[in-house]
Parts: sequence; structure tokens; C-alpha cells
Amino acid sequence: MKHGKWTVALLGGLLILSLFLTACGVEETPEPTEPPAAAEEPTKAPMEAPAEEPVAVTYWHTMSDAEVEAMEEVIAMFEAEHPNVHVEMTRYAYDDFKSALLTSLAGGEGPDTARLDIIWVPELAEMEALSALDSAMSDFDEIATKTFPGPLATNHWQGHYYGLPQDTNTQVLLWNRELFDEAGIEAPPATLDEFKQIACALSKGEEQYGYAMGGTYFWAPAPVFYAMGGKVVDEGITTAEGFVNGPESVAAFQMLVDMYNEGCLSPNLLGGGVGTSDGLATGLYAMIIDGPWMVDIYKADFPEFEVNFAPIPTGPDGTSSSVVGGQNVVVFDSSQHKEEATEWVRFLLSEEAQLKMAERGVIPTLSTIIGDPGLPEYFGVFLEQLKTAQARVPHPKWGDMDGAINNAYQRVLRDEQTVQEALDQAAEEINALLAQ
Amino acid sequence: MAALTREHSRQPGQPSPLARCLTLLQRTYRARTAYLFLLPGLVLFGIFVIYPMLYSLRISFYDWNVIKPARSEWVGMDNYKTLLISPVLRRAVLNTLAYTVTTVPGQMILALVVAILLDQEIRGKTLFRVAYYLPVVTSWVIATLVFEYLFNSQAGLINYMLRDVLRLVHEPVRWLADPILAMVPIHLLGIWKGVGWSAVILLAALKEIPADLQEAAAVDGAGPWHRLRDITLPLLRPTLVFLLVVLVIGALNVYIPVLLMTNGGQPLDLTHSALTLMYKETFDRLNFGGGAATSYLLTSFVFVVSIVQIRLLRQRMEY
Amino acid sequence: MFLPTERKTRYQVLMYLLLVGGLVIVAVPFLFMVSTSVKPQQYTFEYPPRLVPRSVTLNNYVQALSKDLFFLYFLNSLTVAVVTTACTVLASSLLAYAFGRLEFPGKEPLFYALLVGMMIPPVTLIIPQFLVAKSLKLLNSHAGLVVVYVTMNLSMQTFLLRGFFESIPGELEDAVRIDGGGRWKVFRHVILPLSRPGLATVAIFTFLYSWDEFPWAHVAIKETTRRTLPIAIALFQNQHLTQWGQVFAASIVGLVPVVTVFVLFQRHFIQGIARSGLKG
Repeated sequence: MKHGKWTVALLGGLLILSLFLTACGVEETPEPTEPPAAAEEPTKAPMEAPAEEPVAVTYWHTMSDAEVEAMEEVIAMFEAEHPNVHVEMTRYAYDDFKSALLTSLAGGEGPDTARLDIIWVPELAEMEALSALDSAMSDFDEIATKTFPGPLATNHWQGHYYGLPQDTNTQVLLWNRELFDEAGIEAPPATLDEFKQIACALSKGEEQYGYAMGGTYFWAPAPVFYAMGGKVVDEGITTAEGFVNGPESVAAFQMLVDMYNEGCLSPNLLGGGVGTSDGLATGLYAMIIDGPWMVDIYKADFPEFEVNFAPIPTGPDGTSSSVVGGQNVVVFDSSQHKEEATEWVRFLLSEEAQLKMAERGVIPTLSTIIGDPGLPEYFGVFLEQLKTAQARVPHPKWGDMDGAINNAYQRVLRDEQTVQEALDQAAEEINALLAQ
Repeated sequence: MAALTREHSRQPGQPSPLARCLTLLQRTYRARTAYLFLLPGLVLFGIFVIYPMLYSLRISFYDWNVIKPARSEWVGMDNYKTLLISPVLRRAVLNTLAYTVTTVPGQMILALVVAILLDQEIRGKTLFRVAYYLPVVTSWVIATLVFEYLFNSQAGLINYMLRDVLRLVHEPVRWLADPILAMVPIHLLGIWKGVGWSAVILLAALKEIPADLQEAAAVDGAGPWHRLRDITLPLLRPTLVFLLVVLVIGALNVYIPVLLMTNGGQPLDLTHSALTLMYKETFDRLNFGGGAATSYLLTSFVFVVSIVQIRLLRQRMEY
Repeated sequence: MFLPTERKTRYQVLMYLLLVGGLVIVAVPFLFMVSTSVKPQQYTFEYPPRLVPRSVTLNNYVQALSKDLFFLYFLNSLTVAVVTTACTVLASSLLAYAFGRLEFPGKEPLFYALLVGMMIPPVTLIIPQFLVAKSLKLLNSHAGLVVVYVTMNLSMQTFLLRGFFESIPGELEDAVRIDGGGRWKVFRHVILPLSRPGLATVAIFTFLYSWDEFPWAHVAIKETTRRTLPIAIALFQNQHLTQWGQVFAASIVGLVPVVTVFVLFQRHFIQGIARSGLKG
């Protein structure tokens, strides 16, 4: 058929042509020919030597409005000390930051620095997108020793450190004093046994649940998991067998599943229910486990709600634990201004910058400023918790590992497998990922 | 012997290849105005769609390193092979097909009803038109939220009606926690959001049907049903075909409502659509080659389905 | 209509019933959005859910609109949407005329190639589009947005218009040609005026697309002052909590231009000329 032949010829020709074109295009892109930001933005007038134009260092992030206000002051302080450098920050929407970042990097228009979720650092390091800061900064060790070890560890991949912890956080227990008072319970649980008891005592059918979790992704059960002594992999990150399906891990998940089956844990974690923040403030949930951002959130949305924090209850061996979250600041390998970029990173890790951000509820990563009167009061419980909080596995494939544990938890909640079976399957899946 | 001439391979009456070439050039020259009309659109299209498509196609044959493309490894058909045997993809395709089969007819039938109603001379015409258009302009994010809110298992309106008002169920229905039940709010959302869009197009098409055709038929004694069946629907045919093709393409490419309502395939990767899976591969797992392969599998399928629809259903209208 | 009065009334009643019934269905989610936008956050998830708010506050609107640059984003979106719509109507009608009424070699394969543009998920193209835009120096500019938006709409709108153009009877075109007019004249004086509903539809949908588009705008524009509205609304969502009242308030404000465009252009949905008169 005449049309058919034309179609084939046309498409074939286009295909061949394009393979040529894309082949040419590809080789060119990895080398950005000029500093992307400096070319387009008007630079601030330098304060002294008129011959020098300030170098622009770009900094991308997903900070909230409150944090942005504080960061603007930090930038002002930095630029006062370094008149030859101008920091340009750009805010991105949290949900789409990763794709925007990757697209920009692919196009050679990436930023010099960025504040990234700690989980992304190993995978970007693996792709050689990041600059190894321990080599690029001569005073790296000095700075590193001043930070909390847990958050610092999240920057480590294959012998190098690819970032520095900019802020950190962890999760602690939040409890609704009103509901506790109603039931005559005076204090939040100190041990996990008490925790289960109290959660069940405070549950009334569908009107009230003693405890609620945000979902089944690992971040949610992680504090209880770690407090019970659970581990995902061994120290050397070589195997999950015997760890994620070890006796402590199984006991941790078993406890949660029992609570769910007995009606003490809200079913919202399976999806489609009322969120933990709203539920706690409106008296639907008596306890949730969440982070320091709740203070600002409740201030804005539920101003009459009294926010009460407590440490994660202790596990069978008497120690408390939780999970480390937070953000790391990185310098990209494609940056054309690595020197100025590392200056900026250095400043972000300074006491003045960290204290300024702390005013807005951002927990600092410098262990040297614990006890500083400038820190908000409620930080106390978090900083204490950070001493025992553990990092999730710093591995490029952590996302899939999280998925394996998430799915295991789901299967157990849906009665498809026992806890041991589900975690055995997760161990297999995680080992397969480690082997890649 | 007379049959064995030099040009025995040609049938009598067919022009030689050279003659065909010349005719082609002639036709091209004569049609030069047409090419002028085509030029602006096609140039843009070539630069911003065709070239990127071919670039993506190329990526699908590699284990693509998005940061340092030169280091990408050629893997040939491996990306495609992995996908074709993946149970997650198969489930995603099933979900996508289910979505298409429910929402496309749903939208078209309801839109036709709405368009015909809005075509009449009624009071408050503009108000009604705007009202039916509202779902179309509400952003997907908002629309998904509203539906999530309505179908919230603990605090939503639907459960409230089912349990407390109509007393049809005793336990709260866990819509979004169940891989199958989650389809209900998602499909309803798809239909709700799309009816207005199709209705607008059908309304515009209805307006192009000359009123006197309808009048003539009525004078001849044809009732409203007959007029609908024998005049309106046939004249709407090109538009209906258009809608069918476009809606099917849109349904097979469903992304945002599924992503937002199911948090990316939760639970257990059972609620993915083909596109949410592609997005996860590309931007979450950083497997750009695999993501590109998923897109191309999806697009090829969409292409075949669309071409079949167009060729089967299209007819030129003469009247 | 041409029915005896009684039947006519029955039809009228039925019609109104259907329309109003459908109205409830399409309007309820929207009404909840409006209702939530005037509620304080603490009542967002109250149970049983209330459509009529317990207490009304305009705080959400004040908060959302007073965020710096909100109106700038609004204006940026408006500019980009208007230019995109104008260019798309032009480009797609030119293409649709060629595909719908002219003959030329390669017509069918080219049309299918155009259609493929509609079938490929946009997210697949975003990285190479970024590369192309960068090499054409279109990044971080509204022109870069317009160009991509027009291109992404071309397939669908051309397909739509082709259908409309094809149904215009050939005799009208012949009339102009006989008088010595060329294709361009036919286009301007016959095709375009007769396709007002179709062109209006293209305008409505292109404006909407451009107004709402997020992924490309998010990655192509870094300069804060050049950003568009959907980005601004997305920034109401923080990592940990979303202030729904404000999100809805901002979205409702954002709906105003889109609904306005619709109201303006749907006036063009008027009956076409009586054509059968030509057959005589």
C-alpha cells in the first residue's frame, strides 16, 4: 500500500537521522561551558575592589516559608563576611524537587550546592554527581568531628564523605494530654510495654485510637523498631539475613501488628484515613510519633492544642532509640565555583548559621552548641533522643529496601503472611539489592 | 516470445520509476502552498517533540547515566525484556486498561447527554455551562484531594452517607487501603473530571450542525429520538471518533490522580498505572533507561490502538 | 421545538431535572473546596463532614494572597497563557487546514507522526526538551514556556480542528476559488469564520493547559520572579503539612481567569449558518 511504504520510509529516515543527532548531542552536554547562574542573574555590587565581580553560588532547597526567612538572614551574614560571593537560593516544591534537580543536572544546569534529603546522598554519590567534600575541604575532619555522628554517617559512601549534615531531626512521642487526663493516666509511657498498654487503654472503637502511624513506609515504624533492638542490615552493610528478620526485628513488628489487630493502632496507616497530625490535635489519636516540625505546624493550624513531647519508650534492654532524619548540604561535581561553594558549606556548618536556623525550629547538627541558651526549649527532648537515634541504611538502593520492608509490613497487616515470613522475604529482597 | 521484453517486470499501464518520481515532484511543487501552511507547526513539532522522542528512544537501549551520559552502557533490548516479564508492570497495565474501559465510555455517554441538554434553549444556559466546566478547570491536585477527602475511610462524606445515613454498611469502607476498592474513587474522579471537557467539544460540534436540517426532519414528522439517531449522531461522528481516540489516549496515560490517591502504587505496588510506574522507575529508582523503555512500550500500545480506532471508524461525511 | 404544548412541557421539566441533578454532582466537590477555603484548618477533617462551615474566616485568602509574589506569579501565568493560546490557535489552524482540506504528498504519514506527539507521555520528553531549550537559550524565560506549551498542544488541537474544518462544505471554498482567490483567502474568509466554535474550543483548552502546567514550568524557570502560578500553589505544601485552606483559597483565586476565558469564548458556540440552502 502506497501510504504504508511512505510511512515506513519517513519514520526510518527520521530514526536514522535522529540517532546521529542524539549521538552528537550527548557528547556535548556533560561539559557546561559557562557558569549557569552567573550568566543570567544581575550580580550585587561588590563592597570594595571594584574590579572584582561577586561570584554567584547557587543553592537549591525545599525549605518552608519560616526556614526561608531565617536562611535569608544567614545569607546576609555570610555575604557580609565574604563580599566576593553572592548566594542565590531557589526554592523548589518538595514533591517534585528530585525530578527537577535531575533534569537540571542532566541538562548541565545544575546548582553549585543544594540541601538534599539524607537518603539521596548515597545514590547521587554513586552516580558521581557529587563532589567528595573530605577531599575538597582541607578542614573537613575538623568540621566533621563537631557534628553528631549519626547524621554525619549518612554522607558516607564507599570511603568518602559526599556532604555535610546541615540539619537533623528525629522522631519522638507526641501525646494528647487531654485524653490522658480523661483516662487518669498521668505520664506518657516510659517503656514499650507501657506504651502498648496505654495505647490499648486509650482506644475506644472507632472514636479514639491510642496510637496512630502515618503509613507503612519504614520511617513510620522505625523508632519503635530501633527501640526494640531491631536492625536492618549488619554494620558493614553486607547482608540483611539475620538482621531485618532477626528476633528483635520480628518482635518489633509483631508488637505493632498485635496492636493493630486489637484495635489499639488506627487503621489509617493502610491508606485513606485521617492523618496523624490532624488526628492527634482533634482527639482522634492519643499518641503519635513525629518530629520537631510539629511545633510550627500546630502553632499555625491548631493554635489551642498543647504540644507535648516525650522520648521514645525504652525497649526490652532498657535503652531508647529512634531514627535519624534531616538534610545534608552537598556540592555538585559539575559546579564551576567549588571553592566559593565550599566556603558557603563551611558557613552553613558554623555556629552562628546553625543557631540562626535553630530559632525557626531547625535542629542543628553541631554537637558543640547543645546547651546554648539560644536554642528553643523543646529541642531538649530531640537532642537527647539524637544521642541514641540511628541512621537508616546509607546505600544507593535504600529506596527499594524501604519498599521491601514497607511491603512486608503491609502483607502482615493484611493477614497474608506472618511477621517472620514477611521479614524473611524482605531479607531476601534486600540481599538481592545489596548484591547489585 | 513477444512477452519477453526488456520491461517484463512491469505491468502494462504502470509508469516507470522515473516517471513516478517526476510525478511526485510535480505533485510536491503543486502542493507547495500546503507546505507553507504546514511549516510553522511542523518545525516547532520537529524540534520540541520529534527530536526529544528519538532521544528518549535512544536512552531506552542503554543503562543510562543521567549525570555522565557518555558513560552509559549499551544494553540493547534488556530494559524491554525486564519490563515484559515484570509482574508489577503487568498489574499496572491491567489497572490502566480497567481505567480506560470504565472512564472512556462513562465520559462519552455522560458528555453526550450533557451536551445535548446544554444545546437547548434554556434559561441560565451560561451558568449551567460554567458549572459543568468547573471540574475541568479544577486542577488535578485539588480534585484528587477533594475525592480523597470524600472517600476518607474515617472522616469522609461517602462513608458517612453509606453508614450513618443510608445504613448500607456497618464497617467503614476502607476505600484507598484496598487495591481493588481504590479503583472506585480513582475511576469516578476520572469521569467526573472529564465529562465537562468532552461536553464542551460535543457542544461546539452540535452547534455546527445546521439547524434547518433538524427543522426539515421535524416537519417531516420525525420525533426527537429519530432525529438524534439519524441526523445528530451521524453528523457528530467525526467528533465522536476524535473524542474516542483522544480519551483513550488520555486514559492510557493516566498519571496524577493515581499517583496522588495511591501514593505511587500503594499498597504493595498493586495500584500503579503504566505511567506512575514509569515515573517511579525514572525519577525514584534513577533507572532512566528502564523508564524510557516503559514509555515506549506504553506509547507503542497507544499508537496501535489509536490507529486501529481511526482507520476502522473514520468515514468521510458527504451531504 | 415542534411538539404539542403538553409534551413540550414534559420534556422541559425532564431536561431541567437532569441538568440540575448533574449540577449537584459536578458542583459538590467544588463546593467543598470553597467551603474548606473559608474554614479554619482545625475543621478540615471534622466528622461528620459539614458543607456549611461552622465558622467562616477569610484568613486563608489573606494569607495566601499576601504571600509575596503571589500576584506576580499570577501575572506571569496570565502572560504565558495568553501568548500560548494565540500562537496555538494560529499554528494549529494552519496545520488543520492543510491536513483537512489540502492534498499533498506525505499527508497521511505526517498526520500520524503528528498524532504520535499526543500519545507520548510528556514526562518522557522533559529531559531532552530541557537540553534543546538550553541550546536555544530559552531556559528561564517565558518564551521557553510558550514554545514548549504550543508544541505540546499542537497535535490535539490540530486533530480537533481538522474534524471541524473537514465538515465545511466544499462549495463555499469553490465559490472563493472561482472568484480567483488563493488558498490563503479561502482560509481567512471561509474556513476561519465558519469554525468559530472549533477555534473557541481550542482557545479554551489551550489556555487551561498553559495556566495549569507544572512539570515544565517547575524545571525550566529558576528565577523566582518569573515563576508561574501552579508553582506558587505547590509551594503552599511543605514537606510535613499542607495548609489546605490556603491551598484551596489560592486555587480558587487561580480559577478566575480560566473560568473567565471559558465564559468569554463559549459565546462563540452559536449555530452555524444554514447550509442546506446551498444545495438547491
